[in-house]
Amino acid sequence: MNNDIPAHVPGGQGQVMAHAVDACVHCGFCLPACPTYALLGDEMDSPRGRIILMKEVLEGGLPLMDAAPHLDRCLGCMGCVTACPSGVPYGELITAFRGWSEPRRNRSPLDRAKRYAILKALPAPKLFSVAARVGQYAKPLAPVLPDMLRSPLDLLPEHVPAMQPSPALTPARGQRRGRVAFLVGCAQQALTPNFNAATLRVLARNGIEVVVPDGQGCCGAAALHTGARGEALKLVRANLEAFDPDDYDAILSNAAGCGAGLKEYPMVLRGEPDEARAHAFAAKVMDISEYLNGLLLDGTLEPMVPTSRPLNVAYHDACHLAHAQGVKAAPRALLRAIPGVTVLEVPEGDLCCGSAGTYNLEQPELATQLGQRKAKNILSTTPDVIASGNIGCHTQIQSHVRRQRSAVPVMHTIEVLDLAYRGEL
Amino acid sequence: MMPEKQALTTTSPVRGPVSGGHASNALAAGLTRALGPRKVLSSVSERLNYRYDAIQFGVTPLCVVLPESTADVVAVVRAARAAGVPIVGRGAASGLSGGAAPMVEAVVVSFTRMTRLEIDAARREARAQPGVITLKVSEAARPFGLVYPPDPASFRTSTIGGNLGENAGGPMCFKYGVTGDYVKALEFVDADGGVHTLTRDAYDLAGLLIGSEGTLGLITDATLRLSTPAPYTRTLMAHFPEVGQAAEAVSSAIAAGAVPSKLEFMDQACTNAIEDYLHLGLPRDAGALLLVDTDGDDLETVEEERDLVERACLAAGGQVRRAHGDAEAAALWQARRSVSPALGRIRPQRMNEDIVVPRSALPEVVREIRALGDASGLTLVQFGHIGDGNLHPNILFDPRRESAEAVHELAHKIALVAIRHGGVLSGEHGIGTMKRDFMRDAVDPVTLGALRDVKRALDPAGALNPGKILPDGEGMEHG
Repeated sequence: MNNDIPAHVPGGQGQVMAHAVDACVHCGFCLPACPTYALLGDEMDSPRGRIILMKEVLEGGLPLMDAAPHLDRCLGCMGCVTACPSGVPYGELITAFRGWSEPRRNRSPLDRAKRYAILKALPAPKLFSVAARVGQYAKPLAPVLPDMLRSPLDLLPEHVPAMQPSPALTPARGQRRGRVAFLVGCAQQALTPNFNAATLRVLARNGIEVVVPDGQGCCGAAALHTGARGEALKLVRANLEAFDPDDYDAILSNAAGCGAGLKEYPMVLRGEPDEARAHAFAAKVMDISEYLNGLLLDGTLEPMVPTSRPLNVAYHDACHLAHAQGVKAAPRALLRAIPGVTVLEVPEGDLCCGSAGTYNLEQPELATQLGQRKAKNILSTTPDVIASGNIGCHTQIQSHVRRQRSAVPVMHTIEVLDLAYRGEL
Repeated sequence: MMPEKQALTTTSPVRGPVSGGHASNALAAGLTRALGPRKVLSSVSERLNYRYDAIQFGVTPLCVVLPESTADVVAVVRAARAAGVPIVGRGAASGLSGGAAPMVEAVVVSFTRMTRLEIDAARREARAQPGVITLKVSEAARPFGLVYPPDPASFRTSTIGGNLGENAGGPMCFKYGVTGDYVKALEFVDADGGVHTLTRDAYDLAGLLIGSEGTLGLITDATLRLSTPAPYTRTLMAHFPEVGQAAEAVSSAIAAGAVPSKLEFMDQACTNAIEDYLHLGLPRDAGALLLVDTDGDDLETVEEERDLVERACLAAGGQVRRAHGDAEAAALWQARRSVSPALGRIRPQRMNEDIVVPRSALPEVVREIRALGDASGLTLVQFGHIGDGNLHPNILFDPRRESAEAVHELAHKIALVAIRHGGVLSGEHGIGTMKRDFMRDAVDPVTLGALRDVKRALDPAGALNPGKILPDGEGMEHG
């Protein structure tokens, strides 16, 4: 679409946004893919509408605060990117726009404090762990607390496990066939330490040596997608320092959101001195399922033990895996590689579960509606196990599945594989 | 006569003679009181998102209403009439002729929340409100072993209301017809706020409403005919050295008695755009590709029909590839479904023509249009539901590099080719604003007068979707 976005946005981010707006032909094919459009049915809460709003703000024709409520309701799920026939890089647009607009916003002190707390706690696993444990004891108070405090408590599991730091080096079992670096993630270290433990076991079992480089930190996605660009840049640069892509066959993540974040580094640093290094880094980044599926395709994936009885696994596509990274086939292929497993497709599978990074905390009402809808859709397939590849989806789905009084286990794909290797499925 | 310069992408200079800010504020306030704040949008950020469709940007509406019932629509129409403000109906706004873009300051009525849908399997009917997404009708009918055949390429997005407004078609239209062929009854709200229920007997007023692009009334409910799916389908793809040969094959196959369920064509520019995008292994050197499905209840007849098409393709100088199995057929159709995305990557804007010509004239028409495209220096591609004689020459352009006048001029020349060969301006996308100027070439003055009389009879004040279909002499006529 024609635009007149002035060059007042420094660095590469202005170009990123102008290019994305250019590519949109406002055909509307994105509308049915958008969760907020599905809930609200209005144009401003659709991707096409948001592109127009961003364009108008950037061109100076619309005050930022008029557009902000609609832009804030975007989950960043990238369902529209998959649906877009013209290849509009919507994710780059909204991320860059949030970075540009955040310093120009007039937030209330309470709002600021909340965002500050989230952005400080999320990337700090120890702090997050302490907060989660405190929250665990506050859970019974949830019904009487205001929305802002209640929504995070609702998502906490009944039991917050102890932290299990990952070893700096996990040797390959048997002959060494590969060497990878692993990003351990933030929130999941505190909430679901078994994701990482299972990942290390499955990789080692397949002859892969796993290094957890010192100095790594949060991928920066949460900061970036909430507009805290300065914060995000610090985290991005720290990781570029910690991971030397030449040292590894691949840089792995087992959290869809983090993986997508790592793959975005070249976009974040467009036009900056570190851009080339960001490209080299991102070229090595893979989701754990992509990497293992490579072994499956090569015929070198160690066989898994057949399940004790036929097992129906409903696979939930995490938005940041399916839409942002385009990884849909690999996790399904891996689950199917377990003898006895049938993979079930979920109705409205492309629609976000409502977790979406910090969305649960910022837009609790919409997030809850989407969570309920997702849980209902998943349970309609009557699965024995629910699998997905992202901590955010895991927490959200588990919370809403339990609220619908179902005891079906919710697992990370890698946990299902790990159990299969151990003959415990 | 050369048409006036058309604003292709920017705010249209056309303005209505009505209501300044004061009246509009009063109207929005009144509607908000009557319908509640959830259904009425009046802030700038909300309103400016209801001024476009997939082709054109128009004028920011005075306010937007999202009705949830026929009664809500009646309330909007009455309030707008009292305020002297025009009304523009809108579905998903995925249309390709400017039909849903307001060309004057208006109230936009967006039907996206009127989504009630009921299937009556015994009567083989679907009852749908206008905001129902087309795909949902088929999904809802499937468990009953029924289908809704009209399948515009935008069926995942477009609404039944929009399909009715444009009388939308799709690849299945050659054998199974277009939206209008599946309408048993309609409810609509007229320009005075009266509610009517129409069937197809006596005066076929429903037929008049279908394809009227919201200029005669606002459709609020439709009873649609469902049918049973054909159990057998066979698919083939043929490619030809030259675009006219593909058209010859189509003409002769149909003359020989074949009635394919789908018969689509793409020219070389299209094929190459798809190859650049998806790398499907299509023949890049071919001047044109044909994709053909035959279907029916009897496998032998279905295969005979495919053989008939195959022989016609070979006789016209083509090479034929039969699809073995559903997967291969799906792979071949992926090419056709990818036309729009592939074209979107070449140039940011496109002008989509939608002509229909007699099948006997197809070879000459596609050759003439190709030559016009080559001579223009603009990027022109052709594809379409060629079995119906429905062609979509698309002019791809970048408004920063290529002039709107040149694009409009080429579009006009293409329209004239269709008219000269006994064709019409629109098969399925409507006239809208994009082809409104060409109506003078296509329709004689007496008939144009009759169309204006019909418009006046149903909408004396010219309040419904002004600036569409009819060239001049049509618009708001308030004193």
